[in-house]
Amino acid sequence: MIPSSFDYHAPATLAEAVALLGKYPEDAKVLSGGQSLLPLLKLRLGQAGHLIDIGKIPGLEYIKEEGGMLRIGGRTRESALERSEIVQKRYPILVDTAKVIADPIVRNLATVGGNLAHGDPGNDHPATMLALGAQVVAMGKSGERVIPIDKFFLGLFRTALQPDEILTEIRIPAPVEGSGGAYVKLERKVGDYATAASAAYVVIGTQGFVERAGIGLTNLGPTPIKATAAEKYLIGKKPETAALAEAARIAAQATEPSADRRGAVEYKREMARVLTGRALKKAVERAGGK
Amino acid sequence: MTTRNVGQPFVRRDGRAKVTGEARYSYEVAVPDAVYGVLVTSGIAKGRIVEIDTSAAEREAGVLAVISHKNALRLPGEPHLEGPDRVVQALQDDRIRYSNQPIAVAVADTFERAVHAAMLVRVNAEVAAHTVRVEDELHNAFPHKIMAGGKLQEPDESHGDVAAGLVAGAARVEEAYETPFETHNPLEPHATVASWSGDRLTVYDASQWVFAVKKKLAKGFGIPPENVRVVTKFVGGAFGCKGSAWSHVVIAALAAKQVARPVKLALSRHQMFGPVGGRPRTRQKVAVAAQRDGKLTAIRHETVSPTSRFDVFVEASALQARHLYASPNIESRHRIVRLDIGTPTFMRAPGESSGSFALESAMDELAHRLEMDPLALRLASYAEKDPADGKPFSSKSLRACYQEGARRFGWEKRPRTPRSQTRSGQFVGMGMATAMYPANFAPAQALARMLPDGSAQVESGTIDLGTGAYTVFAQIAADELGLPFEKVRFDLGDSDMPEAPIAAGSMTAASVGSAVLVASRALRDRLIRTAIVDSASPLHGLAPIEIRAEDGRLVATSGKSDSYVELIRRAGGKPIEERGKTAPGDEREKFSMHGFGAHFAEVLVDPDLGTVHVSRMVGVFATGRILNARTARSQFLGGMVWGIGMALHEHSVFDEKLGRIMTRDLSDYHVAVNADVGSIEPLFLEEEDAHVDPAGVKGAGELGLCGAAAAIANAVFNATGKRIRELPITPDKLL
Ligand SMILES: Cc1cc2nc3c(=O)[nH]c(=O)nc-3n(C[C@H](O)[C@H](O)[C@H](O)COP(=O)(O)OP(=O)(O)OC[C@H]3O[C@@H](n4cnc5c(N)ncnc54)[C@H](O)[C@@H]3O)c2cc1C
Repeated sequence: MIPSSFDYHAPATLAEAVALLGKYPEDAKVLSGGQSLLPLLKLRLGQAGHLIDIGKIPGLEYIKEEGGMLRIGGRTRESALERSEIVQKRYPILVDTAKVIADPIVRNLATVGGNLAHGDPGNDHPATMLALGAQVVAMGKSGERVIPIDKFFLGLFRTALQPDEILTEIRIPAPVEGSGGAYVKLERKVGDYATAASAAYVVIGTQGFVERAGIGLTNLGPTPIKATAAEKYLIGKKPETAALAEAARIAAQATEPSADRRGAVEYKREMARVLTGRALKKAVERAGGK
Repeated sequence: MTTRNVGQPFVRRDGRAKVTGEARYSYEVAVPDAVYGVLVTSGIAKGRIVEIDTSAAEREAGVLAVISHKNALRLPGEPHLEGPDRVVQALQDDRIRYSNQPIAVAVADTFERAVHAAMLVRVNAEVAAHTVRVEDELHNAFPHKIMAGGKLQEPDESHGDVAAGLVAGAARVEEAYETPFETHNPLEPHATVASWSGDRLTVYDASQWVFAVKKKLAKGFGIPPENVRVVTKFVGGAFGCKGSAWSHVVIAALAAKQVARPVKLALSRHQMFGPVGGRPRTRQKVAVAAQRDGKLTAIRHETVSPTSRFDVFVEASALQARHLYASPNIESRHRIVRLDIGTPTFMRAPGESSGSFALESAMDELAHRLEMDPLALRLASYAEKDPADGKPFSSKSLRACYQEGARRFGWEKRPRTPRSQTRSGQFVGMGMATAMYPANFAPAQALARMLPDGSAQVESGTIDLGTGAYTVFAQIAADELGLPFEKVRFDLGDSDMPEAPIAAGSMTAASVGSAVLVASRALRDRLIRTAIVDSASPLHGLAPIEIRAEDGRLVATSGKSDSYVELIRRAGGKPIEERGKTAPGDEREKFSMHGFGAHFAEVLVDPDLGTVHVSRMVGVFATGRILNARTARSQFLGGMVWGIGMALHEHSVFDEKLGRIMTRDLSDYHVAVNADVGSIEPLFLEEEDAHVDPAGVKGAGELGLCGAAAAIANAVFNATGKRIRELPITPDKLL
C-alpha cells in the first residue's frame, strides 16, 4: 500500500526539529528508524501531514556509561545495541531483548528510542526498561525533562511525550554487585512480535536476600506491564525456586491479555507465568545467586 | 552420452541477474506507454453487486478508467481451457462468488494513482449467506475424477477386502487427520503486462505455462492463438499458483484493450489470498493394520477437501496410498465439497504433501502400537512392485534411501519412549517418514541451433521457476553437442518457442530435458551428416558411427576432426538447426514410475512452552539422474524447509463469519525463515532408469516436501508422547 501524502523534513539540529514539531501540532510525527511508523502509514492505519526525520541530527546515536548510568542516545539502532561491547559485558538483558526484536534487517534501522516512543505494548524494550527502572529524557520547546519509565506508558500507543517532545536519551542504572537481568520471549516463529515475554531484574544482597526486583511484561495488556505486586513479593526473600515460582504466579495475575491470533487469554496468562519464572531464574543466575 | 556437464554443480545462470536486480520479472518489463491497473476486490464472500460507484475515482487526476461489470467489454469467448485451467471472474457479471474476488480495475497513469483510485471505488452489494466451513457441506460431499500426473484418475480405488484386512491385523490404527488451507505466497506476486496492437496481443505474465495463457486469452478474446504471444523470462517463485491464468490475467488484457494502452497489473500481497488458489483444507481418515511382523493387512485412506462453487479442484491426498506399501487390501477414496471460496489449486506436491502427513503419521502410530521401529515397519511392507496393479517399478531405490538416511541421521539413537531424552531442558524427539512422488513426463519440444561461431543456442518455451532450467538444459545440450557448458545458451519463457508443458508436477527436467536431448542429438547427427557429404571436410566419406562430438569438434575414431566453425563456414555460414520432440511412450503402461526418499527429523520441544524447533533433518532421495547437483540439492532443501513450514506454521485462517482469510500477509501467514531452520542435509542417490524418459530424470521439485511434515510430526510424538493430527503443530496444541 501507499501512504497518503506527507511533507518530509530533515532538520539538522534538535532545536530545529522541536520547532518543526511545534509548528505543526497535531499533524507532525517524528520519524526515527521508520520501522513502526512507515508500516502504519502505508497500511493507512495512521496519517501524518509532516514527517520530521531526526536521522540527520548529529549526536543522537551513542552508548556510553557515565555518572553511574548507561546512556543510550534516542536514535541508537537496535543493531548497535546488540553489538555494543559494554552492553554485551554488563547489560546482558539488553542483548537478550535486542536480539529477539524482528530480524537483523529491521534491527539495522529500528531504534531504541522509537521502540519506546511508539508506546506499543508488543514492543520488547518497554518491559526491559520497566524491569531495569530506566529513565527517559525528553527535549521539548521548554527544554529537557527526565521521565521515569514507570510514568511513561499511558495507554495503547500513548506515552508521556508531548507532541513537540523528542526522546533524546534512555538512562539505565549501572549494574551493582549482585545484580542480574534477563529477558525471555515466546514467539510463534523467529521475528514475530511476542505472544508473551517477560523481563526480570534482581539485586541480591550480600546476605542472599533480594533487595530489588523489577519485572516487566510484553504484549500482555494494553500497555507494557510492570508487575509491581510480584516485585514487592520478592523483596527480602531468598531467590529460591519456590519464591521465584510464586512471584511468577503473582506477575501473571497482573496481565490483561486479549485473545487474538497469538492465543487465548488463559494461554497467554499461563505463558506469562512460565516466562516470568524463567526470566527470574536466569536473572538470579546472572546475579551470581546460583 | 558423455556426461562432462550433466550432473556438475554449475551455479544458476540467472542467479547473478537476480541478485543484482538485472533480471526483469514480468511486471518490470519496460513497455512504452504502459499504464497501471489495480484491482478492486470484494469484501464479502457471496452476493451481488447492486451498485458500484466509480465517480470519485474517475475524477482523480491521471485516472484513465475504472472498469467493472457495468462497463467492461463483453468477452466474445469463454476464457477457459480443458485440463488444469481455472474458471475466472473477468468483470463479466454482477455476481460475487468468494471473498477477494476481483470486481473492478482502476487504470491510471501511475501505480500510485491507480492504487488511490481503487481505494475510492464504493461498492454496494446485496449479501447472500455463505459457507466456508467444510463441516457444513459434508452431507453434500461427492466424488470427482482427479486431474493428476497429466491424466484423469478415479476418485475411488479398492482391491482386496479392506474391512477383513483391518480386523485381521494384530494392531490397527484408525484416525482422522487434518491439514489446513495454505496459500502459496511466492515472493513475486502474480503480475501481468498486456499490450495490444490491433488484434494482436503480447503479454508478459508471471506464469508457469505461457502456452496455456496464450490459448486461454485467444479463446476469451476470440482471436487466433497465433495472434497472442506470452513471455515469462523470470519467475520469483510459483509453486503451482501460477500454473493457470487467473482472473487478473484476463482483466489486464481486457483493460488494455479498453483503454487502448498497455496495462501493467500486479496483485498486492493481500490479493494473493483467495483469488489465485491455495492448497485446500483436507479432512482425512486413515486406517492401517498389520501383523506382528509388520506386514500390512490393510490400508484405507479417505479424504475430503473443498473446492469452489464454480470449478473443481481435488486435493488428491489418498492417491499415494495406492502405490506406496505392499498390502493385499488397499482402498482409497476422494470426496469434495463446494464452498464459497476461490478455487483451490495445485500447491507444491498437491495431494502428496497433505496425504503423506496423514498416511505417514498413521504408519508411525501403527509402529508405536506394534512396539516396532517405524523404519522396520516400512521395510516389512516394502513394495517390490506397484501394489495398485502389480507393475514393476521403472526403478526404486527406497531401501537404499532408508539405509543411508538412517545411517547419516543416527536413527539408532532415537529415544525408545517419549519424554525420555532431554537436551538443555527440551525434549528430544526423532521421527521419519517415506517420500514418494510420481515421475511425470509430458510431451515437449525443443530447438537446437549451431551458430557460425561454433556456439549453440537451444530453446524451448518452458519456464525457469527459480529451479535451474536455464542452467541444466544447457548442460544436457552441451554434452550432446560436445561443447563446453559456456558455449551453450539456453533460452526459454516465450510462446513463440517450441511448445513445452506446464512447469509443474516436477516434470520439467524430465520432459523438456528429454526434448533438449533429442533436439541436440538431432542437430549433432545433422552436423555429422553435413561433414560426411562435404568433400572439403576431413571427415568426408566416413560412417556416422565413427564420429563423435567433442570440444566443439566432430572427431573420428581415426583422430581426424572437423570443427563446427569450419563446417558451418563451408556450408554457407548460416546457423544450422534441428527440432526435437518427445512424448511418453508405452513404457508408461509397463512400468510404475516414481521418485522415492526417506526423511529423518529431530525436534526439540520445550516442555513448558510447547515450542518446537526442528534441530536437524536428513533427507535421502533417489529420483533418477541428477542433472545438476547444486540445483537438485536446492530443490530438496527447499522442499524440506517447506516441510517445516507446513508442519509448524502455514495456515490460511478463515474468518468464518466474513468468509475470508484473515492471515493475509506474511506477518500473519507464517513460513519458515532461515532463523527457524536448524541443520538440513538433503542427499540423493543416483539412479539409472532406462524406462522413465530419454533424459532418465524423475524430478526433484516436489519429492523433498512429501513426507517432510509427517517426519516432523512423528518426531514431535517421539519427543512428547503427544500425537498431533491437525497441522500446523502450534505450541498451544502441545500444552
Ligand atoms: C517486520 C517487523 C517486525 C518487528 N518486530 C518487532 C519485535 O518483535 N519486537 C519489537 O519490539 N519491535 C518490532 N518491530 C518494531 C521495530 O522494532 C520498531 O520499528 C521500533 O521499535 C521503532 O523504532 P523506529 O526507530 O523504527 O521508530 P519509528 O517507526 O520511526 O517511530 C515509531 C513511533 O515513535 C515515534 N518516535 C520515534 N522516535 C522518536 C523520538 N526519538 N522521539 C519521539 N518520538 C519518536 C514516531 O513518531 C512514531 O510514532 C518490528 C518491525 C517490523 C517492521
